[in-house]
Parts: sequence; C-alpha cells; structure tokens
Amino acid sequence: MGRVFALRNVRIYFSKLGRMKFVSHLDLTRFMARLIKKSKIPVWYTEGFNRHIYMNFAVPLSLGFESTCEIMDIRIVDENFTNSQCLEQLNSVAAEDIKFFAVNDPVLPTKEIGYADFILSFEELKAETASKLSAFLQSDSILCEKTGKKGKVKQIDLIPKIKSFLLEDKTLNLTLVAGSEDNLNPSLVMDTFFSQTETEPIFYSVTRTAILDKKGNKFK
Amino acid sequence: MDTQQFEKLLLQVQKPGRYSGGESGSIIKDKEKVDVRFAFCFPDTYEIGMSHLGMKILYSLFNSREDIWCERVFAPWTDFEAVMRENNIPLFALESRDAIKDFDFIGFTLQYEMAYTNVLNMLDLAGLPLKSADRTSLSPLVVAGGPCVCNPEPIADFIDLFFLGEGEEVDLEIIDLYKEHKKKGSTKEEFLRAAAKIEGVYVPSLYDIEYNEDNTIKSVTPKNGAPAVISKRIIKDMDKCYYPDNFVVPYIEIVHDRVVQEVFRGCIRGCRFCQAGFIYRPVREKSSDTVNRQARALCENTGYDEISLSSLSTSDYREIEPLLNKLLGWTEKSYVSLALPSLRIDNFSDELLDKIKHIRKSGLTFAPEAGTQRLRDVINKNVTEEEILNTCRTAFEGGYTAVKLYFMLGLPTETDEDLKGIADLGQKIVNEFYSMPNKPKGKSVSVSISVSTFVPKPFTPFQFEPQITKEEIHRRQEYLKSCITTRKISLSYHDSATSSLEGVFARGDRRLGAVIELAYKNGCTFDSWTECFDDEKWKKAFEDAGVSPEFYANRLRDYSEINPWDHLDYGVTKKFLIKENETAHNEKTTPNCREKCSACGAACYGEGVCFEKR
Repeated sequence: MGRVFALRNVRIYFSKLGRMKFVSHLDLTRFMARLIKKSKIPVWYTEGFNRHIYMNFAVPLSLGFESTCEIMDIRIVDENFTNSQCLEQLNSVAAEDIKFFAVNDPVLPTKEIGYADFILSFEELKAETASKLSAFLQSDSILCEKTGKKGKVKQIDLIPKIKSFLLEDKTLNLTLVAGSEDNLNPSLVMDTFFSQTETEPIFYSVTRTAILDKKGNKFK
Repeated sequence: MDTQQFEKLLLQVQKPGRYSGGESGSIIKDKEKVDVRFAFCFPDTYEIGMSHLGMKILYSLFNSREDIWCERVFAPWTDFEAVMRENNIPLFALESRDAIKDFDFIGFTLQYEMAYTNVLNMLDLAGLPLKSADRTSLSPLVVAGGPCVCNPEPIADFIDLFFLGEGEEVDLEIIDLYKEHKKKGSTKEEFLRAAAKIEGVYVPSLYDIEYNEDNTIKSVTPKNGAPAVISKRIIKDMDKCYYPDNFVVPYIEIVHDRVVQEVFRGCIRGCRFCQAGFIYRPVREKSSDTVNRQARALCENTGYDEISLSSLSTSDYREIEPLLNKLLGWTEKSYVSLALPSLRIDNFSDELLDKIKHIRKSGLTFAPEAGTQRLRDVINKNVTEEEILNTCRTAFEGGYTAVKLYFMLGLPTETDEDLKGIADLGQKIVNEFYSMPNKPKGKSVSVSISVSTFVPKPFTPFQFEPQITKEEIHRRQEYLKSCITTRKISLSYHDSATSSLEGVFARGDRRLGAVIELAYKNGCTFDSWTECFDDEKWKKAFEDAGVSPEFYANRLRDYSEINPWDHLDYGVTKKFLIKENETAHNEKTTPNCREKCSACGAACYGEGVCFEKR
C-alpha cells in the first residue's frame, strides 16, 4: 500500500462444462481465486482486513447448469500486462472442464446485463408434452410463486420475463431476463410448467449459451 | 459407468461435488499401464476425509510410482448411498469412477472407532463379502492403517492385513511383495504368510486367540511363521521423508481447506490420557528449511492462500522462531496467511513479535483438560492456573473477548470437586476480565467450555483404567452444568452414548467383530454423526451377540492381564505404562522428553528426541 497502481479492469470469458457443473457459485469463487493465484497474474487484492482477490462475476450460474459464456471481471495492477498474456496464463493452469477463451477490456458495466440465452435439452419429449409446453409458453400470463433470497414468497408473472423461446425437437431455447435487477431461472419456468399443467417431470440438462445486454446484443 | 446417467443421479443429491471427482491435483492414469490399482478409502464423508493429511501424503507417494494408480474413495452420505443402491452403482473410486472391487488393494485409514460400521458399509457397497475369510481370491486385498490399528482386534475379522505405525515405507514394501505374488499366481494365503514377515505388518488371521473363563485373553498364538510380536514402523529421517508438493484441491469447502504443513511427528509431553502422545513416539522434527520449502511448494501448486502448521504441539518445535522468520519472508508478499495455533510466544524476539502481530490468530484456546491442579498432575498436563490467567489477561488487553477451554470429564480419580474446578476456572477468567481497569469498553467476555468424555485408550498409562458408565457420565455432566452460574460461560459436551461405545471398541477384542456386523446389519452407519447415531440399535447388537460392553469399557484391568493389543509393539513398553499409571495415582507428574528421559522404550528406534543433545 502507499503505492499508486494504475488499476485496469479486464473481462474474462470462460466455459464451465462437464464435472464443473457440480461446482456451486460460492465454490467457483474460491476455485477461481486459487486458479488466479496459481496463474501468477498480477491481480489486485482488496484492501480490507481480510485481503482477497477482487473478482466480479457477471451472473451467477445455478448448480447443475453448464455454460459456454461465463464472465468474470478482475483488476490488473501491472500496466504492461496484456490481455493475451492474461489469457495464456489462465489457460496454463485451467482445469479440464473450465476453459478460458477470451480476455477483453470491458465495454459495459455488469449492471447493463439484460438477458441470457439457455438451451434446455430433454432426455425425451413426447409430441403431446411438447405442444403442451409450447402452449404454456405462449399463455398471456404465467403466475407463480417465487421465493426470494430472504425466504419471502411473492407472486410473479413469468411471461414478461421470457423474451423469446424456440422449441425444436428435444431442445428448448429460452431467452430470459437476467442480471442483478431482475432474473429468471429456467428451472422456475420448467417447475411451473410441470406443476401447473400436471405433467410428469422429465429430465433435462441446461446450458447457458449467451449473456446479453439490455438491447439484446452480446454483453461485452 | 455411463457418465450421463451418473451425472443425472448426482443432481438428485446434496453436495454432488463430493462424488464428481475431477478436482485440481487429482491424478488420472492409464489403467492399462499400471500394475497395481489402490483404492484409498476414508470411512467418512468427503469433507472430512479430504482434510486428512495422511491420505494426502500416501496418495501422492503411491502415485509418484509409475506402476501404481492410487485413487480416492469416501463413504457416500446416506442420500447418495440410497441412490447408489437403488441404481446398482457399486462403490467406485473418484478418479476413474471404476468399481473398487476390481482393484488390487482396498486400503482403509482408521482414524476413529466410530467409523467401523462405515468400513463394513463401504465393503458391502463395493459388492464384497464383509469377512476376510469369505474373500478368497488374492485381490482385492483389504488393508488398513491409522491410529486405531494399535488395537485393531474389534475389526480384525474384516481386514486382511494391518499396517502398524507410519506407512510411507511399509505400504510400498507390501505393494511390491504383492506384485511378485500376483505374477507368481500365489493364493491369498501364500501372500499373507509372506506379508506377515515384513516388519510393521499384522495379519490377524495368522493368530489364534484363546480366552479364559472370565472372558479375559488367555493367549495369542501366532501360526505359520508369523511373528509373536509385531512392531510398528516409523520414518527415521523426517527431512528425507516423502512429502507431497501438491494436494488435490476440492471444489467444495472441506473441513481443513488450506495447506497443511507437517512440522514434526510425536509429542514430548506425555499427557497420560493422550494416545497420540504415546503411539507416535519418538518426536522427530523436520528442519525449518524443509518445512519452509515444502510449504512454499504447496502454496504455489495448490493456489491456497493459507498455511497451517501441523503437529501434536507446534509450540514445542525447536526451530519455531527461524521457521516463522523464513515463512514470513514470502507469505506476506504473496498474500498467504499463516494460521498459528496458540503458541507460547513468551520467548520470541521483539522483531518477530512485531511481525506476527499482523497474523490473523485463531481464537484464544486452552486445553487445561482438568479443573484442579491435583487432577492435572494426575493426567500429567503441565498447565497451571496462573499461566492460563496470565495469558488470558494479556489477550484481553490485546482486545480479545472470547476464550475457549477444553476439558475432559470422567478422568481417573476425578471427583465432583474437580468438576466444580472447571466451572471455577471459567469464573476466574470472567473475573479476570472485569478486574482489568483497561478492559475493552462496552464489551462482554465470553468463556466457552467444551467438555469431552475421557475414553481410556491402548498404549496410554490409563489403558488399565475403567471408563465411567453412561449413567455416571450423564450425572457428572448434569452436576457440572449446575456449577455454572453465569451466562458469560457457555458449556457444551459430548453425547455419553457415543463416548461409551468408543470406550468399548478402543480396548475391545475380536469378539466385538460380531457386534459391529450386527449393528451394521441393523442399519448403523456414520455413528460419529449425531443425526445418524442410534444407541438402541447398538444395544440390540450387543444383546444379540451376547457380548457385554461393560466388560470392555468399565472394568479395572489388572496389570498382569493380557490385553488384546499386547502382541503389538509401539515402542512404549508396558512396564513404562504401568510405572506411569502408578505415578498418576500418586498424583505426581513426569517431566517431558526434553527435560528428562523417562525410558519409555521409544529409544529403540534409534532416532529423534531420544538422541537429541541436551
């Protein structure tokens, strides 16, 4: 401390696949801190009593979901340290199911995130269930109960939060509101569908494929 | 195993990270290119097993050999066990997800007696017969090590061979011997006979036990050339001893989620209740250079930002000051924190004191173990009330407001007066706080007293002592509770039933094998977990087996009685233990190993503190 650093934010893009889907968001933050430490990237540490690496994850990913589009911001304290060096050093210590594919200068702050794309792959989807699901997603409103962080249950309408959907064969593409202000988890959509239409739950896997800004463009 | 199907099942259970594998530092080999596959089993949850240093050392050591692939296995929690049984998934190793019944070795580490039913459950989940005698082929061999092996008799029916003492050398000797015998096409019997000739290896099936009418042991007779006495193994030179330069770093949070750096083995203190203090003798230290180098490599390779120094009593490390200086030379710069156990800092230099001021300290804890000086002398715990009060005062002045004290209840010769002494000591610490003119303003003091139940253990001077009964444990706990009159003191204690059971198995013999098996079949697993422990099932198991738990736990044993573990040699002689027992009853202390050698027998290894220059 006492020195003045030219801090530089960098935005790191990575995938979280395979076995990594069993790693919860909290565990991921600890994992990333260790990985960054091993990578020897000149990162900025917070200045509190309990100093730790500054990391900002764009939108936490639910346990059990895979993703090809995760975003994390860190701060670099060395002016001469380039984004490509950063990417190289991260990949030199990356695990099997975490791959870093880009490091860029951030364009928008994370509060500008508006939507996220998900692909839900069903183990099997009968034609009857598919048409029920399609009709369900085109309803005028889908009222359901959502339990908030503090355990408060409130009634919400899912329809305004579903920007678009595409049901093809055994996959459902969903674009849902995402971000710190409003967020919709695809499991809530499916749980509501199963319970409100009295459909026997079927297994599906979820992959997040894009994080979008409020205009619906790729968040950068 | 079908990955997709498996991962779908994982999503149904709590903490799937316990079973998913693929952690950083975990080792994947080509199974076609190794000669020996070793399933290292920890009979408790992932979070506990992954915190265990011994497993980390042996995992890395075995895998450092090209011909061995060692993988990790933990006891699945009840939710995942149900899923496994429902879907016919046999117990598998985390790295390869292959069923462990096809491995060459299934090795358990036995850290506490209450894990025995989990050992049986894991064998059953693997699809293997529980009893050694019913597993007739050479592999998988079911082997076990760890502190409980100093009296392995209760679990002897289920294990093919035990490793006594430290495993770094003897485990590899056995693996090499196995390779030879596998090539030769030996039978299990042939292999075990040859194995029994290696020092530190105990093959229980090669010993016949005869009993007297009063149920005590009449004789232990070796057969087929097995040695009459089996000696534990130790590593002589700790600086040359293998130590991993990387750990498997879990994704989920485990109990000790940091770099654990071993400093020395053994303990000079000789507290008479403490099994570890005797079975790991003699004290053998690593040099501060070795400790520093190993800790640094571990930090760099794991990415951990915290180191804890591990030993039975780190403040007794002779090179503690040079070590801290070396460590602090790089840890601060790389944002690595050092967790220091409550060290005796009285003789540190001002410079070092100034440095460690910045280190985050864990809470202020003491282990007086007994409430009166008389009883502390009986147990040879050389802590005085004055020392405790002085340290508390210094700590309070430094801003601490919470103190944690550890005690034991049911120690030999304990009276109600000793119990009252526990409450009194707590009260004196509270008074000390309020008597300070410069006490932290607006803050209250809190003293937490944690009372465990004394369990007499083999190879301690108290191995002859009766454990108090469950009812008496309960009465004494209630009495102690009634002695505490202020809310500044909080009291917690162990469940009496678990402690009693631990007392039975710690000093049990082979007839308890039937009890463990019955209890397991009644549905007992995870007995050290209060949510799983069911005393009624255990009671029924004892009744059905016709075995009295009181015989093992609550009986005063004559010095001349043959104990179930008397044919095992941990260096410390029975003669010494008898002498120490007598000294305890005379309420006299024994000096520590560095003050004066008490000729315990551990000098037989020719190393360590016994040969330090004094």
